[in-house]
Parts: sequence; structure tokens; C-alpha cells
Amino acid sequence: MSYIRFENINKSFGSNHVLRGINLDINKGQLVTLLGPSGCGKSTLLRILAGLETPASGRVILDDEDITNMDPRFRNVGMVFQQYSLFPNMTVSENIAFGLKLQKKTSISDIKKYTAEVIEMVELKGKEKAYPAQLSGGQQQRVALARSIIMKPKVLLLDEPLSAVDAKLRKALQFQIREIQKRLGITLIFVTHDQDEAMIMSDVIHLFSEGKIEQSGHPIEMYTTPKTRFAAGFIGHYNILNPDEFSTITGEHSPDGFDLAIRPETVEISAEPQSPGMNAYQLTAVVVGFIPHGNVLRYTVKIAGILLQIDVLFRSFKLFEPGQTVYLTIEKRNCLAVQSSEA
Amino acid sequence: MKKNKLNKVIIAAICIYLVLPLLLTFVYSIFSEWKSVLPEGPTLKFYVHLFSDTGFLLPILRTFIISVVPVIICTILILLAMYVITVHLPWLDKYMQILCTIPYAIQGIILAIGVLSLYSGLPEPLSNRIVMLILTYCIVVLPYLYRGIKNSLNSINAALLLETAQVLGSSRFHAFFAIIVPNIVPGISVSVMLSVSILFGDFVIVNIIAGSYYTTAQIYLYRLLFESGQTSSAVVCILFALTLLMTNGALSLYSRLNKKLLVEKEE
Repeated sequence: MSYIRFENINKSFGSNHVLRGINLDINKGQLVTLLGPSGCGKSTLLRILAGLETPASGRVILDDEDITNMDPRFRNVGMVFQQYSLFPNMTVSENIAFGLKLQKKTSISDIKKYTAEVIEMVELKGKEKAYPAQLSGGQQQRVALARSIIMKPKVLLLDEPLSAVDAKLRKALQFQIREIQKRLGITLIFVTHDQDEAMIMSDVIHLFSEGKIEQSGHPIEMYTTPKTRFAAGFIGHYNILNPDEFSTITGEHSPDGFDLAIRPETVEISAEPQSPGMNAYQLTAVVVGFIPHGNVLRYTVKIAGILLQIDVLFRSFKLFEPGQTVYLTIEKRNCLAVQSSEA
Repeated sequence: MKKNKLNKVIIAAICIYLVLPLLLTFVYSIFSEWKSVLPEGPTLKFYVHLFSDTGFLLPILRTFIISVVPVIICTILILLAMYVITVHLPWLDKYMQILCTIPYAIQGIILAIGVLSLYSGLPEPLSNRIVMLILTYCIVVLPYLYRGIKNSLNSINAALLLETAQVLGSSRFHAFFAIIVPNIVPGISVSVMLSVSILFGDFVIVNIIAGSYYTTAQIYLYRLLFESGQTSSAVVCILFALTLLMTNGALSLYSRLNKKLLVEKEE
């Protein structure tokens, strides 16, 4: 039996059917990411688990207990919001100790001890007496995290917690959250629309689209074998070709109802024709342009009016110039058949 | 440079325009006579007389009470209403807004006559003039208090703070009064002081509803106008000083509370 179970969850806001019969199992101690574009229902599912929304139908089971209609304050679920949501009139220490003080189960000396421990864990020592307005965005988010983990929740929910912090800090916080989750062995559900963040942090990714789970799996599995056009488009930077486009550039046909997805880094590009063998396609293309992406150069090339993107490791200054004719080699096994959206 | 000078001249002209009447009133109150160009016979006897006269100190006390009590009642009522609206019935907010804006459109004289004709024939306590006055004042200050509290609630994202507190184990009622209200105290205190100032200066409503029953400082001043110009000028100066003290008190309270919440970022 899984630790958290969503059974046939449906939820609507007016005429907007946000969640459509979600069935989802989450195991204890995992870091699970709900990934998807804005409005796909991932945050709503999180809020249903926290008790901040009630499903129209379906059940939520947490640790063998049906919590569907339980008051949020009795669920022992921690939640960190995108906007930090710290209490402005309380110091860092007071914010963190708020939940424990309310419970009235822990002595004042223990509360102080636990507060000091989590403050150290989130690296905020020296900021105990600071008010939220005196902290940076990253520090505020760490206070919010500490405020939740001090309660030793059964599950910790993070609703796009890093969307409001800058890219450098986001990377550091991703690492820190993962470390804390591993150290405490806590079950953590992370909501994000950032596929890179999901890939870095998760044990399991559930990809949402229009209120349904499009695909679930380990990050590597999600990246290497997307099942649908949507999954291929959302995770990674696949070149997605419809059957006509695929036929135009390769002369072969794709299975009915399927598009072909090709990862940019699996395409080899060279200035001279190669001998690809039987298991690869050799294509002639013209360079349209390129953009540096950190240590990768992303070329855009054109074949019979169809644009493809190709990633090349940025190892030398030898570049293919726009207008230059280049030769592409694509292994057939790297052309993945994905269900087209119409299918 | 020229523009700067012009700005200074404009500001100085406005200051003179605003301060001059008050200054002349004060000058008039500290001289025995002012029949020629300059006043004659400097004296503080009007002030001494006022401060030794219970007939003046009592109206001041009454004005203070009648300005503060309705504001306290109205603040508590609005906070409770806002709790219900924020936590349970958010769709009621638009009706609350309309309801609280209506008093803006009603002139004091219309409100006072309306209340008097409607409630004067009813049994106690509704027909009690003081009760009537307090409840009428509650209506007068409703828009000011509502707007202030509503804006403060919007500025702190009350709904999100409530949800956070709930997830951390707080009841919604506790969360509203233990977390939301302390965070909007600066906003509430400003609205409260504004409302008290408005009631403190009222003459129309108090005169119609309870003029002969409850002599406030404004009514006292009105009666005095026919007796002694200098004494009434002294009363005006004292009332101005009191209002100034109250406003100053509110501002320092606001900045002290706000300091805690809105300290400048260290980084």
C-alpha cells in the first residue's frame, strides 16, 4: 500500500474542470515532482492534499487514513508557498516556532532547541531575531522551509517554492532542499513548471496536462522515452516532427497516430558527408543560425523548409556559419515515436 | 534655479494661506481688544478662565468620549465582518463595499434628521439621544474604517497568511486575530485616528441629535460665539492643539508599529 494515494480526484472551478479523475500513488520517503504548465491542476492537487481545497469527488489517503474531509490543521502536512508567506510581525525564530507553540505539546526549552536546530539546518544562524522584511527572497524561503520541517510533517508540500528567486540562488536551494529531504527521509511533493528543476530534484516525476497525468516515471526515463508529443515537448528540447515532415526529410513513414521526436544532442553535425550505415539517416541541411547555451551551441538548420535544432558541445571556436551546408547523421533508434496530440 | 524659486514662493503662499487664519485667531485670543490696526492689552485671561471652568472641560471630555466610543464599536464590528468575509464568505465583499460606501454620499444633516425622525418615537434605549448619537457616528465613520482595514488586508495577502497558519495547525478564527489583525494594526490605527478626528470636529450631527442633551466642545464653541469673540478664539486654539496632539500621537504610533514590520532591507 502506498503512503499517499489519490483516488479518482475530480475538481472544478466553475466550468473549468481542473482535475480529471487523478489516480496517483506516492511512496514514503520519495521526492516526487508534479510537473506541468500553468493551469494544469498540479497546485490544486497539492492544495487538496493540504486540505485547502476539497475535491468534487474522490478520496485522499495519507498513511492509511482517509483525510479527504479532514481539517487542514489536523493533517500534519507541511506546506511551503511560492510567496514565502512568512508572518511579517514575527521574527525568524517566532515564525519557525509558531506551529510547535500552537500544538502546546512541546516544552518551551525544547521548542527553543528544535528551532535552533532547524535554523542551523537551513543555514540561517545569526538571523534569528530578523524580521521577514529584513531577509532576502532566498532567506525567506528557507525560513518557510524551516517552519514546515520543524513540525515533522508526514509529507512536505512545496508549491513552486523557487519561482521567485534568481537562477543562481535557485540552484543552491534545489540542492539544499534535496539534501534536507534525504537527511530527514521525509516524503516531499514538489510542484514546478520548470522541467530542469524537476529533473535535478526528483525521484519520480508526474507530468500533468489539462487536469490529467500525461506520464509518470524516473527523470531519466521521462527524458529519454517520452510517450506523447506533449511530454516530448515539455521535458527536454525535442525536435518533434509530424508524419509528413518526417517523411519529407527521411523518406520513411512513421506509425499512424504517432509523431517522431528527436533530441537535439543525438544529431551529429559535420561539414563533410559521413557514411552513416544502415541504422542511421544522413541528411543534408543548411545552417540558419546558432545560439550559445552555456557549454552547448544550439544550431538551427533547415531541411526542405523544416527547421531542426542540434546541440553541439561548445569545445572549440570552429563554428558552422549561417548559410553553410552541413551533413546530419541521426541514428534511427534516436527517433522516438510519440503519440501525437490528436491521437 | 528660477523654477526652484517659483516652487518655494508657491509653497510659502500656501503655508501663509493655511496658517494665517489660525495665527490671527490665536493673536486675537491673547489680547484684550483689537479695534485698531494692532491688538492691544496682551493677556492670557481667556485661557485661564477656560481652564478653570468645568463648563469648558466637561464638553472637551464629552467630545473625546463621543469621538472614541463609536470608533471602537465600529472597528470591532468591521473586524468581525471582515473575518467572516475573508475566511468564510468572500463573495459578500462586494456588497460590504457598497454598503460601506453609502455613508459617503449622505450629508450629515440628512443623516441626523433621518435618524432623529426614525428613532425618536421608539422606546429606550433606541430613542436615547446618546445611544442614537453613538450609533449615527458609527455610520459616519464606517467608510473610513472599512477602507483602511480593507486596504491593509489587501496589502498583506491575508488569504495566503490564513492558509499558512491553518496548515501549521491554527484555527481560522485564531489565525485571523493572532496573525492577520496584528499585521494590519498600523493601517487600523491610522483609520481610527482619522475617524476620531472627523467625529471630534463634528457639529452638525451632534447639534441636531443631542444638542441640548450632550454639550460637546463644538456646541460649547457655537454658544460662546455670541458671548465673547476672544474666548471662542481661545477655544478654537485649544481644540486645534488637541487635534494636533491626537494626529501627532497617531503618526508616531503608526511609525513605531510600522518600523517593526517594514524595516529597510539589510541587503
